[in-house]
Amino acid sequence: MNHFIHGFDAAVVVYFVLLNSFYALLLILALPEIWEQSLLAEDEDLVRLQEVGAPPPISILVPAYNESATIKASVTAILTLDYRHYEVIVVNDGSSDDTMGRLEDAFDLYEIPRTYPETLSTSPIRALYRSRTRPRLLVIDKENGGKADSLNAAINASRWPLVIAVDADTLIEPDAMLRLTRPFSLGLRIAAVGGTVRVANGSVIKDGRVVEPRVAPRFLPGIQVVEYLRSFLYGRLGWNRLGGNMIISGAFGLFRKDYLLEIGGYRTDSVVEDFDVVVRLHRYLLDRRLPYSITFVPDPVAWTEVPETLAVLGRQRERWHRGLILTMWKYRHMMLRPRYKRIGLLGFPFFTFGEMLAPLVEVLGYLVTALGLWWGFIDVPFALLFLLVALGYGMILSIWGILLEEVGFRRYRRASDLVRLLWYAALENFGYRQCTVWFRLKAFWSAIRARKTWGRMTRTGFAAAGTRIPS
Amino acid sequence: MTAETLLFFVAVLQGGSIVVLIAVLLANRWLRRRRRDRVAPRRMVLDEAIKGWALGDVGPELVVRGLEALPRSDAVEALLAWSVRLTGERWRALADALERRPWTTRLRKAVRSRTWWRRLEAARFLSVAGTAADAGDIERLLKDPHPAVRITIAVALERFATPRLVNIVLDRLPDMVGPVQAHYAAVLRGQNAVTVPLLTERLGLVYDLGLPRIVEFSGRLGDARLREPITALATHRDAEVRVQVARALGDYPHARTVTVLQTLCTDPAWEVRALAVRSLGRIGDAATLADLRSRLADAEWWVRLRAALALTRLGAAGRDALLKAETGAQPDARYVSRLILGLSPQALSEFAA
Repeated sequence: MNHFIHGFDAAVVVYFVLLNSFYALLLILALPEIWEQSLLAEDEDLVRLQEVGAPPPISILVPAYNESATIKASVTAILTLDYRHYEVIVVNDGSSDDTMGRLEDAFDLYEIPRTYPETLSTSPIRALYRSRTRPRLLVIDKENGGKADSLNAAINASRWPLVIAVDADTLIEPDAMLRLTRPFSLGLRIAAVGGTVRVANGSVIKDGRVVEPRVAPRFLPGIQVVEYLRSFLYGRLGWNRLGGNMIISGAFGLFRKDYLLEIGGYRTDSVVEDFDVVVRLHRYLLDRRLPYSITFVPDPVAWTEVPETLAVLGRQRERWHRGLILTMWKYRHMMLRPRYKRIGLLGFPFFTFGEMLAPLVEVLGYLVTALGLWWGFIDVPFALLFLLVALGYGMILSIWGILLEEVGFRRYRRASDLVRLLWYAALENFGYRQCTVWFRLKAFWSAIRARKTWGRMTRTGFAAAGTRIPS
Repeated sequence: MTAETLLFFVAVLQGGSIVVLIAVLLANRWLRRRRRDRVAPRRMVLDEAIKGWALGDVGPELVVRGLEALPRSDAVEALLAWSVRLTGERWRALADALERRPWTTRLRKAVRSRTWWRRLEAARFLSVAGTAADAGDIERLLKDPHPAVRITIAVALERFATPRLVNIVLDRLPDMVGPVQAHYAAVLRGQNAVTVPLLTERLGLVYDLGLPRIVEFSGRLGDARLREPITALATHRDAEVRVQVARALGDYPHARTVTVLQTLCTDPAWEVRALAVRSLGRIGDAATLADLRSRLADAEWWVRLRAALALTRLGAAGRDALLKAETGAQPDARYVSRLILGLSPQALSEFAA
């Protein structure tokens, strides 16, 4: 038993060292990337591009299910973006609340006939509406079929060659689209681009815009601010350098429509349709040896409301992890296949062993260490020291995320926000991290049972004018 | 060294790293604030100087002095910001005044830098303050390996374009994606005297693989002198060339254009037919009514839709044709006519855009 416990502990240490070395590599790679991106993100260049009308026309797809609390503010914000050529397609996915009624009242809708072929099959469309006050807006009212089904319906109706999927509870910054299309304006062979998603809880919102970003004072959303910064600002930037991102956030991602149509649109049987669609895009483009890149640009920003209670957070994280497990399993044939280049040789192993199996390894590590301590096989000071190093490393990565934010973007101007960020970076490893491990662990059970439910997300709704989202 | 000692050493190292990171965070805030406090008043002085100079109250020397008081990157940023608002002779006078200052000489030298961000800064400066003497540097930057440098320097072509510089752009056309092409077309639109003869020459190279992009680019410029060479390509064997011809001719309302588009309405490739029908709608010649009506029964959905939309732009005659088709024998024509007749004027104008 002694040998087993020491052997297992050694394996956990090796796993820990390998995984954290990879995170360190991502961080090192993110540094030149953020430097390059911040140099390219000069405002004056964007103004000039906009003036000559070079940015390509875009269709913004907004699936909405029971979003009556936020739909008016978020659609209004989307309709007043600082971008010349775009249309907005809102899909009411058979909401059981008053989402459709709110849209009708807010935008003075009138019914129109359908004038496009159904390229991707979807749930039946009830009616299509245009707005008397907002010519850019098209509203599709359809039977409930899920988010992926709504996105497919919106893709069918879209007119332009680029489409952006945006969550209805997301607030896009006015210049975000202009920034998101920068890789296209540079002439790069782009298949998809992702922008940064930030936490809106606690910020000052006016007319559907975040006018003063703040770090939420409450523990749970506050910690998620740090988590999002870390994930977006060095995780995805690092992956840019490693040969392409495997995640483009469903809340804010731009895709080439022709490629989406080629791969059959979004899959309605996936619980993480954004992850699934990016993996399929990689597979499709690598199978055909087409030159492409799927990249992340940090300066376009969309703000989203994150869970404020453990129950809602648990459902969200369980679904994300279940989706990860099912997607990794579904496309397992791409793992370690040279044909799929860095996606198969780096992305898949990392997401499988570093992300998918991480909660299992962590919990087993806790259990075996506890047993070792109980039976006296493991030294108490050694175990505590190891725990300290593990937690310290997590804290360092979080502080690096904050530093990248401070050097690159500096959205949180108040000193109190910086103090809060550092405080949450320290607290994240005590309790919050263990909770998320538990939520992700539960995902294995539901993945085995192949549950396809999303779980309910309770929204507070964006405040109408000059107030803060309660957090 | 035991594992425990190693872990202890790592923990101490981590603690030190955390302290250093927090110190860097605080120092970054302090330095930024200090820089802002130093630069902001100077920027205000410069803005006032430029306003006075634009009104003719002060000479360009005051503006140059204001620019020199700023850090180099801020000076370039200020120039870019003002270049959007000020153009013409006054701006040229400022560019001349900036030609032999020490800081602009350093910027010009950066054209040959090995680091792309230095070349980008030089391109930003030369795009608004370059003079005829900088043609060599601009040529070099137009061929730069970094796409951001090429896109940025292209703006310099707005003010002076030589055949040599324009040819560099035209050589790259086959590899350009839509937004980049639109950018170059926008900056060259004011330089048609140089661009059109070069494009006409290239439109005559019928076996050039890059011909579709050349036609597309010519269409974006919309110069009347390009109508004839574009029309001559209507029978080209490559369908992609014919697609671009059909698209471009919509901007040239002319009897010869209409005849060519009528022929393209029966092209074997449906993409050509759809764009020819769309262009006929944009021209709005009543003589094409029969052609458009016949396309209501086209085998391809998009051609039928475009034909019905084009008919709505022919006034009462077009509407009558749609009403007839709505109750006619051909089921496809019946469906598409009913669909278009059901659209509001606003929806119609959006579709026709």
